[in-house]
Amino acid sequence: MSGLAARIRAIPTWQITLGVALLGLGFLIAAQLASEGPRTRYTTQERVPLVATALDLQAEQEGLKDRILALRASIGDLEATGQGGAAVTTDLGDQLQRARVASGLVAMTGPGLVIQLSDSTAPVPPDGIEREYLVSGQDVLTVVEELWLAGAEGIAVNGERITAATAIVDIGGSVLVNSAYVAAPYQVSAIGPPDMLDRLTRSAGFVDFIRGRVEMFGIGVGQSVSDGVDVPAYAGSVNLRYGRPAPSPTPDTGRGSPVPTESP
Amino acid sequence: MRRANGRLALSLVLVLLGFLVVVQLRSQAADAGLNALSVQELGELVANLTTRNNQLRDEISTLQRQHDSVAAAVERGGTSAAQMRADLNRVLGWSGALGVTGAGVRVTVDGTLPGEEVEFLLNELRNAGAEAISIGDIRVVPGVVVTGPPGSLVMSGIPLAEPLELLAIGQTDTLGGSLSRAGGPIAQLAVRYPDVTVSVTGLDRIEIPPTDRNLQPVLGRPRL
Repeated sequence: MSGLAARIRAIPTWQITLGVALLGLGFLIAAQLASEGPRTRYTTQERVPLVATALDLQAEQEGLKDRILALRASIGDLEATGQGGAAVTTDLGDQLQRARVASGLVAMTGPGLVIQLSDSTAPVPPDGIEREYLVSGQDVLTVVEELWLAGAEGIAVNGERITAATAIVDIGGSVLVNSAYVAAPYQVSAIGPPDMLDRLTRSAGFVDFIRGRVEMFGIGVGQSVSDGVDVPAYAGSVNLRYGRPAPSPTPDTGRGSPVPTESP
Repeated sequence: MRRANGRLALSLVLVLLGFLVVVQLRSQAADAGLNALSVQELGELVANLTTRNNQLRDEISTLQRQHDSVAAAVERGGTSAAQMRADLNRVLGWSGALGVTGAGVRVTVDGTLPGEEVEFLLNELRNAGAEAISIGDIRVVPGVVVTGPPGSLVMSGIPLAEPLELLAIGQTDTLGGSLSRAGGPIAQLAVRYPDVTVSVTGLDRIEIPPTDRNLQPVLGRPRL
């Protein structure tokens, strides 16, 4: 017996660590293969290329968004370089930066809270509808609207900034925000006043949501209050293809000020 | 020597382990939702992603032209004030800080709907590519939410008059078609509220006012 203990003690530590790591590796490979099993059974000839196309398009979208953010940053740098003390362009540069901040084109940080919505872990009854136990686009939209009403000044869902043009829609059990596919759990990050959570939980609309979705179907809702909530910049199009900016009598960039477009 | 080989082997296994953990977590997060979709829903998702990517490419073209223009002006030792003004107007118009004119649709609601159903219509208009929306004379911008029971709707603290009229600038056919399609929002509302009639009219020119809200954040600051 003492001989066995001595032999175990004689095994170098790195060999034990390697053994544990190999065990973990084996477990993960098994888990990966197991998760492939039902998927393969479920897929059909039509589904496989569609899923692959959706994933490719989503990956491409990430690259396009990165390119937009990089171009905007580069333009901002160039404008700052070119201002060179000319009062008119310095003023225009300041107005542009304020307009970009007000429009959600700049990443922000500030006090606020993050609400996390997760699919129900409750078993679906035999006569139940499975999708009712999943977080829907309407759930996410409701929380976003309630956060606006509670005083939020900037919101993002899973890294997608909510802007004047943002739609949150369902396709089957999946949610699209700004036409980007986002998966559960959904993190709704909001910058806002210190009492935002208190205002939210006192809102009749939010109470209805808790009763109708959380208590009835077990949708998970968690929250985290922080002094440093981050919301990313909107990385989509701000082009007006069908509309043109119109003169406005309101003289402030934050609200709206017409800027003559002719050269000085 | 044997000890060094052992450490190397351990490092390789740990790197592989980390990689597999990430692959497993990412594939579970991304694919789990997609595999729950039907073929039809996957087709719809692909169409949405394609449309969005095309919009992003348009935006990149616009930004690239703007970048080249500003860069050329800077190289000449000057500035591009005209380009900056155009960009400023574009951003202000898009965000709601400036009024917008253009073609679009008028959506008229005869009857009373609760606030969440009006939000349902607004969300659908945004999804169909509306570039600017107003209800009554109030511009719909982030932070503006329609609330209240049927007959007592409020938006930004202001009671909304009936019949409710929504204006949206965008491609007329797309906006109208999105609302009126079989099984679409108007059809759904007709089932839920049989006494309510929602009609859509295409218009060549609509004027949508700027918001009177201050869109500048007070608590948040730009993240560098």
